[in-house]
Order: sequence, then C-alpha cells, then structure tokens
Amino acid sequence: MKPWSTLFVLFSVFSGVFAAKPSVDKFQKYHALSRSGPVDLDSASFGELTTAPRDYYAAVILTAMDAHYGCLMCREFDAEWDLISRSWNKGSKLDGLKVVFGTLDFDHGKAVFQKYMLQTAPVILLFPPTVGPFAKIEAEPERLDFTGPMSGDQLYAWITRHLPDGPKPPLVRPVNYMRIVSGITILMGAVTLFTVLSPYVLPIIQNRNLWAAVSLIAILLFTSGQMFNHIRKVPYVAGDGQGGISYFAGGFQNQFGMETQIVAAIYAVLAFSTIALAVKVPRMEDVKGQQLAVLIWGGVIFGTYSLLLSVFKTKNGGYPFFLPPF
Amino acid sequence: MAESSLDVLLKGSSGQRTRGLLRIIIILTIAAAAVASRLFSVIRFESIIHEFDPWFNFRATKYLVENGFYSFWDWFDDRTWHPLGRVTGGTLYPGLMVTSGVIYHILRLLTIPVDIRNICVLLAPGFSGLTALAMYLLTCEMSTSPSAGLLAAAFMGITPGYISRSVAGSYDNEAIAIFLLVFTFYLWIKAVKNGSIMWGALAALFYGYMVSAWGGYVFITNLIPLHVFVLLCMGRYSSRTYIAYTTWYALGTLGSMQIPFVGFLPIRNSDHMAALGVFGLLQLVAFAEFVRGFLPGKQFQKLLTSMVLLTFGLGFAGLVLLTVSGVIAPWSGRFYSLWDTGYAKIHIPIIASVSEHQPTAWPAFFFDLNFLIWLFPAGVFLCFQKLNDEHVFVIIYAVLSSYFAGVMVRLMLTLTPIVCVAAALALSSVLDNFLVMSKPTAETQAKANAKDAKIYGKMKNPVVGIYSYFSKAFVTGSLTLYLLIFVAHCTWVTSNAYSSPSVVLASRLPDGSQMIIDDYREAYYWLRQNTPDNAKIMSWWDYGYQIGGMADRPTLVDNNTWNNTHIATVGKAMSSREEVSYPILRQHDVDYVLVVFGGLLGYSGDDLNKFLWMVRIAEGIWPDEIKERDFFTARGEYRVDEEATPTMKNSLMYKMSYYNYQSLFPAGQAVDRVRGVRLPAEGPQLNTLEEAFTSENWIIRIFKVKDLDNLDRDHSNAVAFEKGIKRKRATKKKGPRVLRTE
Repeated sequence: MKPWSTLFVLFSVFSGVFAAKPSVDKFQKYHALSRSGPVDLDSASFGELTTAPRDYYAAVILTAMDAHYGCLMCREFDAEWDLISRSWNKGSKLDGLKVVFGTLDFDHGKAVFQKYMLQTAPVILLFPPTVGPFAKIEAEPERLDFTGPMSGDQLYAWITRHLPDGPKPPLVRPVNYMRIVSGITILMGAVTLFTVLSPYVLPIIQNRNLWAAVSLIAILLFTSGQMFNHIRKVPYVAGDGQGGISYFAGGFQNQFGMETQIVAAIYAVLAFSTIALAVKVPRMEDVKGQQLAVLIWGGVIFGTYSLLLSVFKTKNGGYPFFLPPF
Repeated sequence: MAESSLDVLLKGSSGQRTRGLLRIIIILTIAAAAVASRLFSVIRFESIIHEFDPWFNFRATKYLVENGFYSFWDWFDDRTWHPLGRVTGGTLYPGLMVTSGVIYHILRLLTIPVDIRNICVLLAPGFSGLTALAMYLLTCEMSTSPSAGLLAAAFMGITPGYISRSVAGSYDNEAIAIFLLVFTFYLWIKAVKNGSIMWGALAALFYGYMVSAWGGYVFITNLIPLHVFVLLCMGRYSSRTYIAYTTWYALGTLGSMQIPFVGFLPIRNSDHMAALGVFGLLQLVAFAEFVRGFLPGKQFQKLLTSMVLLTFGLGFAGLVLLTVSGVIAPWSGRFYSLWDTGYAKIHIPIIASVSEHQPTAWPAFFFDLNFLIWLFPAGVFLCFQKLNDEHVFVIIYAVLSSYFAGVMVRLMLTLTPIVCVAAALALSSVLDNFLVMSKPTAETQAKANAKDAKIYGKMKNPVVGIYSYFSKAFVTGSLTLYLLIFVAHCTWVTSNAYSSPSVVLASRLPDGSQMIIDDYREAYYWLRQNTPDNAKIMSWWDYGYQIGGMADRPTLVDNNTWNNTHIATVGKAMSSREEVSYPILRQHDVDYVLVVFGGLLGYSGDDLNKFLWMVRIAEGIWPDEIKERDFFTARGEYRVDEEATPTMKNSLMYKMSYYNYQSLFPAGQAVDRVRGVRLPAEGPQLNTLEEAFTSENWIIRIFKVKDLDNLDRDHSNAVAFEKGIKRKRATKKKGPRVLRTE
C-alpha cells in the first residue's frame, strides 16, 4: 500500500510537470488509495481532490469520529459509508463514470469545516465533475445534511440519484456468518435446554394460572393505552408549571406513561373486585364474614369506579356523569 | 290465588315456554333499542349518507340497482382516477351493495316503493339489530347462565364502540360486517362443539359472505386457525375439531375465492397462510392419531410425534422459502403495520396519514366501552376457570383484539364484540348469585357440594349462595346504578360524538340556537349545476368519493387509494409553485381545483392542516423537487402567517386557500381562526387559476384552471397586463449588444 501510493504521488507530480491532463492522474491517485474503502483525507488532500479541473465525482463525508465530540451518528454511519464505497468500487458501472469516496475527519480538516461553515456533522458533499463526458456546468457540490438516523441504502439512493443515468452497482452487504452461526448455536442450545429441562418447565408452561395472569396483564396493558405510549413515545410524567407533577395529560388525545399505569391499576382493582364478588363470595360459608366481604368488595368497586369517572371527567371536560365520592 | 297462577306460568313445561316468550320479547326490545339509538342523525339533520366512503358505496349501489348485477360485476369506472380509470367491479367488496340491492328488489316485489337511498341510510341500524341477536346466540354458547346472552345482546346493541360505525347514514362495509363477524364466530363455535359438518358448512357460508363484505375478514381467517392451533398445543385434538376446521377451511376458501377482489389471494398471500398451515398440520395430527390407534408401544408414539413435528417444521420452512423467493406475496402493508408499528410511517405515508390508523389513547377505550372495559378482564378470568374449547376462543380473541385496538383506533370495532361477551359473562355470574331470593339452607349446600365435587374435585369450596338480603340489595343496587350510567353514557356519546354526518356540520350560536353549516353540499351542487358533465375536478383524495357521489363529476384521485403515484401527483401540484403546477394540471385535463379551507369558521379539518401529508406523499415520489423541510421555518415551525417560508407562500395550496381572503377584513386584520394567526396584509396572487366559487362559510373554494392565453403570453404577464402594470423592458438597455448565436 504505502510504496504504491508514494509511487502514484511521485507519478502524479511527475506527470503534473509534463502532462496537460493532471485531473486524470488525480483520480488515479485517489482511486488507488481507495481500492478498499473510502480515502482518508485532510485539509490539503481535500483541497486537491476537489479543485476545479476534475473529471470524476467526489463524494466526501465530513465527520467527527473522535469520542470526545460525542457524535454518535458519525460513528454509526462510518461502517455504512465504508460499505457504500466498497460496493461501488467492486461493482461494474457506466464506462467513464468515476467516483472517489472520501472521509474527512474534523481533527484533520478544521479548515474545510470552516470553509463550508458547517456546524454539524456528519455532512455529505458530492462534487460533480467539471470536465469530461459527465461534466456539469454548475460546479457547486450537492450537500446532504443528516436530519436523523439514516441507513446506508437511503444515502446510496441519494448518491445514485445525483449520478448520471445508467447501470450502477447495487449496495452489497457482506453476509454475516458470525450471526448465522451464533443463531444456529443459540437455537440448538435452546432446543437442548428445553429437552433437558422439560420435566421442570412443562408444568410451568401448562399452568393455567400462569397463562391467565399473562393474558390478563396483557389485556390490562393494551386497553389502558400502552401501545399509544410505545408508538408516540409519550413522557412518563410532566410538570404542571408550578413545581408539582401533573399525572394526567390535558386533552382527550394525550396521555402520560404514568397515567396509563394508574388507569391500568384502576381497571385491575375493579376487575378483581368483580371476580371476588362473582367467585369467592358465594363460596363463603360464614354468614358474617360473607356480609363483610360483600360490603368491602362492593365498596371498593363503588369508590374506584367513582375515581375512574372523575379522572375521565378531567380528560373530557364536557362529560356529564359522575358518582358521589369523587 | 295470584301466586298459584304465577306458579303455573313459571314452573314446569309451560314455565319454560313463558321464559322463551319473555326472552324473545326482550331480544326484540333490545333490537328496537339498538335501531332507535342510531337514528339521532336522521332526526337532527335528515336522511343523508355520511362522511366519505359511504358516498362511494352509495354511488356503487345506485349503479347496481340501475344496471343489474352483471354489469356491476364488470364495471369499469372512467369517472374516477382520471385519466386512468378504475376497474371498480373487480376492486371492491360487493357484499354491502348486493345486500341493499337484494333488499331493494324484495321490497319492490312486495310493492313497497322505497328509495334506494333510504335503504342505504337505514341498513346499518337494521343490521345492528341482527348483531344483537347474533351476540345473544354467541354468548349463550359460552355460558349456561340464561342472563349472559341477554346482557351481551343489550351491551352490543348500545355500546358506542359499535355505534360509532353503524349510525343511520354510515353506509359502510362495517355496517354489515360486524354482524357477519359475530355470526360466523357463533357458527364456528357451534361447529367445534358439535363436530358437525352442517355447522361447519354454515360457518363457511357466512365466512364467504363476510369476505364479500369487508377486508377485515382476514381477522377471521387468522383467528380461527389460531384457535385450532392453540387447541392442538393444549392436547385437545378431537375429531370434532377436525371435522369443523376442514369443512370450514375447504368450503370457506372456495367461497372467498369467488370474489374477484380476493381471487387467488387465499393461496398466494401470507395473510392467509396461517389457515393453510393449520389445515396441513391438522391432517398430520389426524393421521398420527389414526395410526396410534393401531400401534401401542411408547417408543413408536414418540417417533410419530417427532415425525409430525418434523414435517410441520419442514412445511413451515418451505413456506418461508416461498415467501422469500416471492412466489407467495409477503404480508400486505396494512397488515404488517399492525406488528411493526413504525413501519407505516416510513414506508406507507398514505396509511399513516389517515386518522383512523392512529394508536388509541386510554380515554378512547373508556369512551367507547364505558364500564364494560373493566368487566372485560373479569370475564376473561372466568373463561380461564371453565376453559372449554369455546372459552379458549374467547381468550385468544380477547388478547389479540385488545392489542389491535391499542395499535389502531378503527380496530376498536373488532374488540367491541368480545368485550360485550366477556363483560356479560362477568356481570351475569355476579347477578346470578346475588339475584336469588331464597337463602341457602343446609340442603342446598349439600346439593351444591355434590355437584361441585364432580366438576372441580376437592380443589375449591362449593358454591353456597348469599345469606343476607342486605348484601343482595347492595350489590344488585350498585350494579343497576352502573348499568344506568352505562345507558346514559351510551346515549350521550352517540348523540354528541357519533351522530354527525360530517357532510353537514352543526354548531351552536352564542344564543344557544343551532346553526347548520351546509357548505359541502352547496359547493357540490354548484359543481353539478354549473359545470359541464365531464369537467375534471382535482382535489385532495379525501373528497374524491363525495365529489363523485354528490357532484357527479370525474375526479383525479379518491378515497380508494390504489395508486400512490397518482395521489403524489396531486400532492405535487398542490405543493409546488404555479409555474410547476400549471403544466401538471394541463396534462391531467383538470378543469376545476377544489380546496377545503376552514380559516374563516375555525373548521380544523381543512386542507392546510392536511397539507404536510400531501407534501410528504409527494416527497416520497419526487424527493428532489418537493422537500418537507422547505415548508418549515428555520426554527422548525409550520407557519402560515408573515413568517411562512417562501415555498409555503408560493405553493398552490396556500395561494388558493388565502386568495382574496384579506378582502373580508379591514386592511391588515385578516385572521385565520383555525391556526389562530394574523395573515399578511397583502394576499397571494393567482395567475393560472381564477376563483370560480366560494361557499357561504368559505369552507369549500373552487378555482377554474385558465385556458392557455389567447395571445400566447405567460399567464403572469397576462395578469400583470390586465392589472395595468407596465412590463419592464430590462433587456434592451442593459449590457452590450449580443450577437445572436445559433
């Protein structure tokens, strides 16, 4: 690698002196550097790569990889960028269409960041060629800011959209053998474990009460709006603006995480009191005890339902119904 | 004397008959109440079709009645999706239209001349009465208690979760589909319990009817196999299950394939593969059971079990392989978005844009089901206590549908039936204990002991009953109170939330009197009477069906969102500059553009509030030309006032919405009441369109697309000329002369 690149640098300098086509050699130089992935650039080489006479596209990611910048997206996307440039360099493409992929880290290219007035990273710049068959009149680079997490496919689609029409290599993800092997191992392990443990596990799996508990908890969670929390990513609680906590969100279409848990608990209390009234109480043989149980469970239902109605009333202002205590 | 005569009525065989008669009367009363509570909108407004989709169904029904069944079947509609057209006969669920067509012809036969519109309006309430009956039958299969069925029927009759989709005028597929859903489940439970081919075939028949009526049939297609699968896993295989399932699957699949829209989906689509897989598994299990009868020997049985498992595993792997290779279509997007909740937002914005597809917050559950929502878990728990085959069904249905209802608001509809069943089971088991007058005595105790010992073994104490009258009075009294609140709640919700036709709006004036806002019909009738019969109307897809139904004019896109690109084209035309939009309008032969604007009245469901979805959908197809980011200010706000971005201000939608709006107000005082902002003093200028009609409250605005200019000028130049602005002659004075180069 090293001698090759020096050779090419030498060659380019050499030919730069004599020949009238420096840009071709620039491409050769960087292309050679980037045979396996994007080229690591610094301010100087970035300048050289993107100076005006060029007959190739230059796609450069401006990134900040070092840990103390705390740019999570930069580090996550680095592997994807590598994948894109590898896929491109390996695949077959249009004759004469040349693309150089480069990476410019903030540590080596502060000047470039200043030049483009970049506040954020990562940013993709795509420089169109100025000479050659695909030359564009406006030499201004296309710029792509990352507004959110982006997959390699999305970016690749963006790049290919800005390249001239024609066959382009597809984005090839290497087969993750490690994952396949580990998947099979885990599967076999699980089967073995199950076979060995089945005398102990089967009674648990076949336990009716366990299934009843799981189903009831699932129903309570779903009917109290847990999926809404999951999809909309609502806050758990919010302040009420006076230093306190407001447990219930205002409005019919809003809710907090805590709120749904309170509601699920209310439903659970009501449901289990009803179950007690329906199943437990009629089986009590003690007259006094039964009377007491009926009073307690009936009272609990009444009070909790009243609470539920009052909570609902706060959510829906015009709701006219209520029960006494609350 | 009175007592003895009452005894004659209540005891022995005549007592049974009296109870039967009472039961019929009660069910009829429930059905009448179910129908009556859905008539609010007819009484308040008039007999009118509601909302959006019903207008298409109504139009299709009229076509069916006028042209007969076969031409309906082959209907190619060239008045929608201009210029593509739509193969309507092959892309709709015909069950609803055929049902009302049949009713219409029967009534004609009986020489009762009823307008087809009235049949359509009243179809949903009528079927809700039948749903109550089906609910009674279904719940009676679940419980031995005589009251459970009646309670369930009453709940189903008036619960808002079902009323929301079945008020008079809401002429939509769900109107008959919920009846078919409940009835199919009833027949299925019957078939499983009796192991009878007749019930299985009937279930298949009604399943076929369901397929012809609603896309939600996929729920049945997956729930019944799941029920069978769980029964198999529980080791409850029986020849009853085998007979019921194979009959249902074979006949039901054949039946469903008769619908052109479904066609070969049952064997080519992943949504239906569970049913096929369970069918195969059931054959294997049945074969193993059969062989086992001849071969004792434990080793061999083990071998057999593993063989069955292996074959099933291989079959499953084959199915996965076929799906990956593309022979079997993968899950449909709508179905997939139920499991991966972020899927729709990224891949199918058109699905995510519909408000019915949003997740459900908890108040919505309570709003639609009231106290049934907390009786529901109790009922499910009681099902675990008995756990026969049919109770397993209730449990699976309950868990699955509560998940679905949590993910999508509209699926509350499928949750409602099972909530009614479970709540009725819970409530009836309380009432049955507390409504017995006689006190438990030693004798009844002993009886109960003997009976319970048979059922539960020694595990539980026997049921003895309730001793004190006070307990009985307390519990029944409070339950009656809850029931009364439930009835009041249902009436209140139906009257306030679910009875608005949304074609006609009602609002209250400060003095309390009602004001009817009838802008939609005003505008559609203007179109009908003032435009040529084949004038093409462009609007956002929400209004396509209404324009087709009420104005009877061709539209570019409508609520049948089958062609995303075409919708994106409309979105692009709406969100681009006039110079970009005008060629699009010309290319699509558009004569009029219709927008909905709520700024004057404070009507929040207008097009500017939906505008971002238009942008998003257009961006999905033309990411380089339309960018959502351009419609937000630098600080990321969506604004329409002075601060609005240039892209926003130049978009066709913005211009059409606010065109001339400032002339209603004193200078500089124009206010948008929906978004609550003050608008720029100078309104937008339209060059390529001219205002044709604006309704009374400005809700609907219609613009005519100008023809090409007679003098071959630019439209902007022509407008400038008419306004008397002198054209700048900039090119002549500045710069050196340039030789013309060829």
